[in-house]
Amino acid sequence: MNIKDKMRKRLKLSRPSLRARARPPKHRSVCGSQFSAANLPGILQLQNCTDCGHVQYPPAELCGACLGSTLIYKETACTGTLLAQSQLHHSLWEYFKRRIKRAPWPIASVQLDVGPVAIVHLTELDLDTGDRVKVFSHSDASRSVVLIAVPAATDITTPELRQAVIVGIQLDKSAERLKGV
Amino acid sequence: MKDYNGVVLTTPISMGYARQSPHGAAWFVGSVLREMISAAGLTKKDINGFSVSSFSLGIDSAVALTQHFGLCVRWLEQANVGGVSGILALRRAARAVQCGDADIVACIGGDGAAHRSFEHTAAHFSNWSTDAAFPYGAAGPNGPFSLITAHYMERYQAQREDFARICLDQRYNANHFPGALLGHKKLSLSDYLNARPIAGPLHLFDCVMPCAGGEGFLVMSEERARQLKLPAVKILAADECHNAHADDPVQDRGGWTQYIEGLYNRAAVGPEDVDFLQTYDDYPVISMLQMEDLGFCGKGEAPEFVGQTDMRFDGSGPGLNKLPHNTSGGQLSCGQAGAAAGFLGVTESLRQLTGQSQQNQVSNARLGLVSGYGMVNYDRGICTAAAMLQGVDR
Repeated sequence: MNIKDKMRKRLKLSRPSLRARARPPKHRSVCGSQFSAANLPGILQLQNCTDCGHVQYPPAELCGACLGSTLIYKETACTGTLLAQSQLHHSLWEYFKRRIKRAPWPIASVQLDVGPVAIVHLTELDLDTGDRVKVFSHSDASRSVVLIAVPAATDITTPELRQAVIVGIQLDKSAERLKGV
Repeated sequence: MKDYNGVVLTTPISMGYARQSPHGAAWFVGSVLREMISAAGLTKKDINGFSVSSFSLGIDSAVALTQHFGLCVRWLEQANVGGVSGILALRRAARAVQCGDADIVACIGGDGAAHRSFEHTAAHFSNWSTDAAFPYGAAGPNGPFSLITAHYMERYQAQREDFARICLDQRYNANHFPGALLGHKKLSLSDYLNARPIAGPLHLFDCVMPCAGGEGFLVMSEERARQLKLPAVKILAADECHNAHADDPVQDRGGWTQYIEGLYNRAAVGPEDVDFLQTYDDYPVISMLQMEDLGFCGKGEAPEFVGQTDMRFDGSGPGLNKLPHNTSGGQLSCGQAGAAAGFLGVTESLRQLTGQSQQNQVSNARLGLVSGYGMVNYDRGICTAAAMLQGVDR
């Protein structure tokens, strides 16, 4: 096999769709990586402004209210209200493409009681707009932190309980392809 | 706000639309420029202002393109604001011409569509999108817009049949516009309703097809356009507002509400006077928000409004209220060529108002309203702009 054919084969095999294991998107901005790091312990840590008390999400470099620069991550009330939900039947990312082949992927937007609106993975399908939910953070199969919404009655006080939710939607596992590269 | 007297828009160019293309953004921007100066009977030396919008220039910027194209300009602008690029470009270029900073400004939007490039753009669209939207299903813009659509349908009792009204009439318009990528295909209500699901309430024909393409126009003084014998269009009024209503939990209105009254006052016309409307139709619900916020109907009344309104360019539909809407088929039928999609409504308006449209000409089109919307930084589009345009008597 000459170099050209070798390169062509390597390019072909590096297509995400041919890989044995596909994982959720790992790339984050610097602020996003800091959010991941801050959220490894606890239920939900959001940026709090020490100057004006504003709580914000998505993470940013400055306070969106007073433009102050002294933002710290603090454990935040995880309760909120479901604003809208939808089930995805199409994705641009191989991990979700494989998951969607089995069942549509539910997402939602939630207004947290502390203020910000968060887009989240949804675990429960029979929720209605306006229903109360809890939102917690957890690392996924890419070891990046994502937010997950569960019905408000769900007990998520311990790491084991939260882990169980993640295992339930298999967010802790890569999506495998038999005979993949 | 000062008027735009003495300045005109001319020489609309739309070219190179393709589902996939080996060419980069510079090819599309440069090709539009070539077509434009040839159509206007100018040379490169006559262009001394240059405004570029593109998502896929990579590490190049507008100034790099001046060297690529051998342009020497005294006024340069790069407005990478997606769906409002065209209107922002025309507003800024018009002021430059009015104030004498430039004589002729070429405003161009162009983007390529390399294999898997849309995936890359969606994955790295903005920091907030990368951190807080894309990881949730990686649906690209379909994710946030499925939530916006689901919320609108629930809050205002809109049905899929209402969205179909917009998509079907636009496809009819595209069937009469040779440049539309999907213009060769007919679309029926049952095709629309039975299309495969994409995200929540969004199905295939609610979503635009990403593609490559270039759009552009020239901005110059009215006098210069007359000397060059170019059919031209005046700006009666134009405005923009970004990140308005930031506290709405889910978007169901845009920044148009902040300025539309003043815009109509300055133009001395109302929504009932326009001969056509061009909205930014990345999803049909967004066209509905524009019809409401631009004053064609009240908030939440768009489903009823589109039910009664014939939006075909020739008024051949059954609706009693006639409002030609997205007369070239919009992005839903032409394809969404990156930042060029923000120019689509402007170039189509220019063709209509100067009588340069071919089969899809709106008869006696004198006055047109064009509106832009764009940039889903996180959970909603945060840019809005609108312009009232009028054909110049020849």
